Amino acid sequence: MNEIAVFFLHGLAYAGLLFLVSAGLTLVFGMMNVLNFAHAAMYMLGAYFSYSIMLRMSGQIWLSLIVCPIALFIIGALIERFLLRKVHANGHVAELLLTFGLAYIITELVKWYWGNYPLAVNVTGFLNGTVQIMGITYPIYRIFIFLCAIFVGLLMAFILYKTRLGIILRAAVNDSETVNTLGVNVPLVFMGVFAFGAALSGFAGVIAGPLLSTFPGMAHDILLDAFVVIVVGGFGSLGGAVVASLLIGELQSFGVLLFPKLSIALMYMLMAAVLIIKPSGLFGEEQ
Amino acid sequence: MKRSIIKSLCFLSAVLILSLPLYAAAADTIKIGATEPLSGTFKDIGERYLDGVVYAAKVINAKGGLLGKKVEVVPIDSELKPDVATRKAQNLIMKDDVRFFCGGTGSSVGAAMSQLAERENVIMYTYGMAAATMTGAKCNRNFFRPCANTDQQSYALAELIARKGYGKVAIIAQDYSFGQEALAAFKKKLAQANPSAKIVAELYHPAGTKDYAPYISQIIAAKPDVIFTPNWGNDLTILLKQGRPMGMSQKIFSYYINDEVTIQALGDDSLMIGNMGAEVYTLSIPTKKNEEFVASFYKDMGYYPTWLRGKAYVATMFWAEAVKKAGTTDVDAVIKAWEGLTYDGPAGLWTMRACDHQAQMPLWYTEIVAKTKFFDHAFEAPAGMAEAKDVSVPCAETGCIMKKK
Repeated sequence: MNEIAVFFLHGLAYAGLLFLVSAGLTLVFGMMNVLNFAHAAMYMLGAYFSYSIMLRMSGQIWLSLIVCPIALFIIGALIERFLLRKVHANGHVAELLLTFGLAYIITELVKWYWGNYPLAVNVTGFLNGTVQIMGITYPIYRIFIFLCAIFVGLLMAFILYKTRLGIILRAAVNDSETVNTLGVNVPLVFMGVFAFGAALSGFAGVIAGPLLSTFPGMAHDILLDAFVVIVVGGFGSLGGAVVASLLIGELQSFGVLLFPKLSIALMYMLMAAVLIIKPSGLFGEEQ
Repeated sequence: MKRSIIKSLCFLSAVLILSLPLYAAAADTIKIGATEPLSGTFKDIGERYLDGVVYAAKVINAKGGLLGKKVEVVPIDSELKPDVATRKAQNLIMKDDVRFFCGGTGSSVGAAMSQLAERENVIMYTYGMAAATMTGAKCNRNFFRPCANTDQQSYALAELIARKGYGKVAIIAQDYSFGQEALAAFKKKLAQANPSAKIVAELYHPAGTKDYAPYISQIIAAKPDVIFTPNWGNDLTILLKQGRPMGMSQKIFSYYINDEVTIQALGDDSLMIGNMGAEVYTLSIPTKKNEEFVASFYKDMGYYPTWLRGKAYVATMFWAEAVKKAGTTDVDAVIKAWEGLTYDGPAGLWTMRACDHQAQMPLWYTEIVAKTKFFDHAFEAPAGMAEAKDVSVPCAETGCIMKKK
């Protein structure tokens, strides 16, 4: 019984990380219909910015949690305004190629500035501690990850469904011309959405730094996981991302315990099963 | 005007192309092509290996060269791709008549280079590619391994754990051929060296795993005395980074524990102190020859010949001994001279076994301690050695059938 609870907890923490990484990706796709390949590269930028900040803050993560999303918000806004908007008229392939190229450029810039080797990112203080839960030692940071994920999820749901901005956003997705004629600056709205997605990826990078490894391959490593989450959950569905993150997190955790030989393939088996039963993903809308 | 510029450019490039083979034939050098990943994710590893080869050439040249000729190292960026490495090597063989190749990164690159060496009758030696099959079932007379393979390294660590009397061992490895081979060899040797020792947990995880918590919980639940892992890179750092806070406090015995970049990447010495490793070359080998080598390297370069650099250096000096003994750069003569040759260098007495071209040498144990004279961060201290015979795999068990020419 105890063991099941511990592995459930492991699954929750990993699910939290998966959700943080995929939330921005699915938001941008759902609102703008852009599959942002540079998402993971922005996540990496967040982690590297955080490294440079934490180095000067003796390992405190709080400043990074505020500064990095803001920095990524600005970068995201600039990318949307000056690059993405220009290629928008040329269709999805052009947008895909643009974000693909951006991912490469960002990765090379990171290598050039920070070096092509892993960097040490360790939190200090309260977050570095442990608590005793059910007779085992559990790192507070893992609980912190899960709480951050809940915070981000609730924040997004609140904005989308409980504010005027959320109403405009959802309306703009459905019928941008009508919303435009009502006096709303739709291009500005979309710029905000893309920038917010970038900020979310930066936030995820800050959170991931102390748990994983901060190195130039980290973007490539996480991109596949993020895609699996949004494919399983349904492209563009926030609720889908929540459910898919939890499913994959717990599947990985219990899979390692129960079917260790399959752990390498479990995530993909789930994705294949979902695609067979419901090709649009668990919560995806039929196109 | 434009036309004449194009004309002169054409002429210039024609001259350059024509002069290339002439230059190569005229140059009185012995060339070694060093295949390393010099771009991409593993650039850092490749550059440190290359550094060791280049330094060996420098030392040889400072003493009047090899057979009176200068040794010249030709870096080949393998990009860690077998086809890229062999294509570039093939070019060097045809254009510059390069007969000697070496490399340390990627057993897949090594296997392809080994085949190329056999086909073109050149020599390939490795100071880092560890897959046992390369001097086992897939051995050939043109491939030499002056470094340890997975069998020897796992044997050395199993021997160490047995010597220290640990009874319960947890083992964890990446779920692919390297990890599986390393654990298989470890289990085989531990059963011989200490039959009462028990493997209390045997775990395999996908390479590049991000969340180790489910594995760490299983290790902790098995209550081992120590942990053995051949993990490297992020799979080693994240295991430690996530495992220690969860209470996985056991000593870790690992192939690559003394990598200074890994230790720095952890950024927290307390995660590392007490862990142990075994290598054919470590910076801290307590022999007079090594101390002299480290001192002169540091004087010349301003930094230390840590394991990767040292391994490449010792292996290349060993190769040079073989060429010296042969008295010629003729490939068949060098192969014959290297078989059975011994070399007494910074890392002790090395012998190139004729039956499989796998060098037999001692492995040096290290333990990570808080303070050393080398770095500000935690680093290795010497912790004894395993004799060559303790870690040797008998010729008959390697699966190598060496074809004679």
